[in-house]
Amino acid sequence: MRARRVTAALATCLVAALALSACTTKNDEPAAGGSGGAPKARTVAFVPKLQGIPYFEAMNTGGKKAAAELGLNWLYQGPTQADAAAQTQIVRSYIQQGVDVLVVAPNDPNSMAPVLAEAAGKGIKVMTSDTDAPSSVREAFVNQATADGIGKGLTDSLLTAMGGAGKYAIVSCGETAENLNSWIAVQKAYTAEKYPGAQIVDIVYAGEDQAKATQMATDLMNAHPDLTGLVGECTSSAPGVAQAVKDAGKIGKVFTVGLGTPQSMKAYLADGSSSASILWDVEQLGYLTAWAGLQLADGKAFQASNNVNAQLPAVKWDSASKMLLLGDPLVISKDNVDKFNY
Amino acid sequence: MTVVEERPPPARGRVLAPAVSGQELVLVGVIAVLWVLLAFTTPAFLTAGSIQPLLVEVAPVAVMGVGMTLVIISAGIDVSVGATMMVCGVITAKLLVDADVPLLLALVVAVAVGAVLGTLNGVLIAYGRVHAIIITFGTANLFLFLGLQIFGSQTVNGIPGTLAFFGRGAEGRFLGIPHSFLLTVAIAAVAWWYLRHSVGGRHLYAIGGNAVAARLAGVRVQRRVLLAYVITGALVGLAAVFTVAKGTSTLDQSIGTGRELAVIAATVIGGTSIVGGRGSVLGTVLGALLVQTVSSGVTQLNWPSQLSDLFVGIFVIVAVGADLIRQRPFNRRPLNRRRAR
Repeated sequence: MRARRVTAALATCLVAALALSACTTKNDEPAAGGSGGAPKARTVAFVPKLQGIPYFEAMNTGGKKAAAELGLNWLYQGPTQADAAAQTQIVRSYIQQGVDVLVVAPNDPNSMAPVLAEAAGKGIKVMTSDTDAPSSVREAFVNQATADGIGKGLTDSLLTAMGGAGKYAIVSCGETAENLNSWIAVQKAYTAEKYPGAQIVDIVYAGEDQAKATQMATDLMNAHPDLTGLVGECTSSAPGVAQAVKDAGKIGKVFTVGLGTPQSMKAYLADGSSSASILWDVEQLGYLTAWAGLQLADGKAFQASNNVNAQLPAVKWDSASKMLLLGDPLVISKDNVDKFNY
Repeated sequence: MTVVEERPPPARGRVLAPAVSGQELVLVGVIAVLWVLLAFTTPAFLTAGSIQPLLVEVAPVAVMGVGMTLVIISAGIDVSVGATMMVCGVITAKLLVDADVPLLLALVVAVAVGAVLGTLNGVLIAYGRVHAIIITFGTANLFLFLGLQIFGSQTVNGIPGTLAFFGRGAEGRFLGIPHSFLLTVAIAAVAWWYLRHSVGGRHLYAIGGNAVAARLAGVRVQRRVLLAYVITGALVGLAAVFTVAKGTSTLDQSIGTGRELAVIAATVIGGTSIVGGRGSVLGTVLGALLVQTVSSGVTQLNWPSQLSDLFVGIFVIVAVGADLIRQRPFNRRPLNRRRAR
C-alpha cells in the first residue's frame, strides 16, 4: 500500500515536472556574447512565430551574422508551437528586459498589436518581420517578397513546365493563413489573365501536415486524370506534392512547383518531380531584420534604397506602408539548390 | 407467476462472441457501399493508382490502432502515440541518414524505442495507478520535448530510399498490395487471435470490464496492463517506420502530430467501447480504412477538405451512440445471458 502511494506521488511529481517543462521554452543563447557584451551595443530581440523549424532558424543564422558584422546583440526566442498566447509571453519578457528593438513575426496580428503598443510606450523600437501586424504601432515591416511576386513566380514557373496550358491544382496548408491566401488570390487572377489555356481545378488544405499533403496530391491526380500541374503552397506541402508525383510514376507528366526550403526540395529538383521552388533568401531576411533594427535603435531614417551589404545592395523602403522589401523571390532549381544550406 | 427459464448449457463456443460482430459487418457494408459509389462518381477511385496509396496511408493508423484497441479494451487510453511516433520517426530518419543503417536494423531500433517509451507509460499507469489519460498526456509532452531535441531545430534531410520496401512506390508492393498494409493485416490477425483465444487476451477484457473483479479472480492486472502499453509503443515504432517510408526525403517536426486522435477515432469507430471491456482489432482496421476512404473520397469528389473532419466526427458520435445502445440492454440482461465480447 505504501509503495503504491510512493509511486503515485512520484508519478504526480513527474506529471507536474512535465507540465512545467512544457511551459518553459528553450532559451537560445544570445549570439554576440549575451549579458557580457559591450554595454554600448544595441540589443535587437526577434520573436519568430515558432522556433525550431528550419525557416526561422535560417533567419536566426542571418541575424547572428549581422550581429557579428554590425556589432549588435541579437536575441532570438519563440514559442515551441505557433501559439499567439505563448508568443505574447515571450514578447512581454523582452519588454521587461528592456531591449532596444523588438522584432516580431506575429502569429496573430490583432492580439499582438496592444503588446507592441505597450513596448513602444516604454521607449522600445518596434518592428515586424516575415509577417506583418499592419494595424500596430510598428515602425517598420521587413517584407520578404510581395504577394504579387510570389504568386506570379509560382504561376510562371509552373506554366513554363506545363507548356503554358493545362489543368492544375493547389495543395495549400492552413485554411486561414493570410499570406497563403493572398498568394493564391494572385495565382488565380494571374493565371486567368496571362494563361487562358490553363485552369485551376481545385484548391485543398492539408494543414501543416506533410503526410496529408502527399495523400491529397495523390487523390487530386486520381480525381483529375488530365491534371498536369500541382502547387505546394507552403514548406510542408511543396515536397509532399513532389513525392506524390514521384510515387505515382508521373514524373514528366505532372509538374510541380512550391514554396519549399532548398534542402527539402533537393532530391525532387534532381529527379524532376519538382520543377522549381519559389522562396527568398531566408538568411538574408534575418540579416536585413537585424540591420533594420540597428537603424531604428540608432535613430537613422531609411532611404528609398538602402545598401545593406554586398548581397543586398539596394533594399527598397516604402515610406507610405513603412515597409522594407527584401527583393524579388528566388527561383530555386536543381542548378542553384546547393547554394543554400537550410 | 414464474417463467422457468432454460439455462443455456455452458457449451464451448457459446462463451465467445461471434467471430465477426455486428458493428464490423456494418463497417464492411459502409466501406463497400462507399467504394462502389466513389467508383461511379469519381474518375479513378477504384483503381490501383488510388487504392494502393490509400492502403499505405491506412497502415500506420491501423497498426497503431491494434495496440490502442488492447489499451482501450483494458479501460485505458494512450494519448502519447503521436509524440512516441515523433521520437521513433526522427531516430529512424537520423539513423538512415547519418549511419546508413539497413532496413531491418532501422525497423528493430524503431520498434525497440517505441517499446521503451511504451514501458514508461505502462509502468506509470499499472503501478502508479494514476489514470491513463493523465499519465500519457504527461508523457506525450515529455516525448514531444525529446523528439524536438533530437530534431535539434532542423529537419532531417536527404533520407535515402532504404525504407522503400514500406513506401508508396512500386518497390513497396507484393502482388499489388503494399507491404505495410500486408504486415498490418498480419499483426491484426495475431492480435485478433490473442484477444479471442489466449488467456492474456481474455484477461484484458476482464480488466476493462471490472478491474477489481478481475484481480479477485486472480488476473495479474498490472502485468497485463503494462504489456498492453508496451505492445502499443512497439507498434507505434513500426508505424513510425511506415510513416518515414511513405514520407518525403525530408522529415519535419509535423510527424506524429494529431495521430493520437486519428488512432483513437479509428478504434472507436471500429466498435471498441471507450469505457473498456469490449472491442476488436478487426473493427479498428476497418475503422481506419473507413476514415481514409472518406478523406480520399472527399478530395477526389472535389468537395471542400474540411468535410472529411465533419464525417469522421459524425462516425465517432454514431459509433459511441451505438455502443451505448448495445451497452444498456447488456446491463439489464440476466447475468447468465451476458456474454463477453
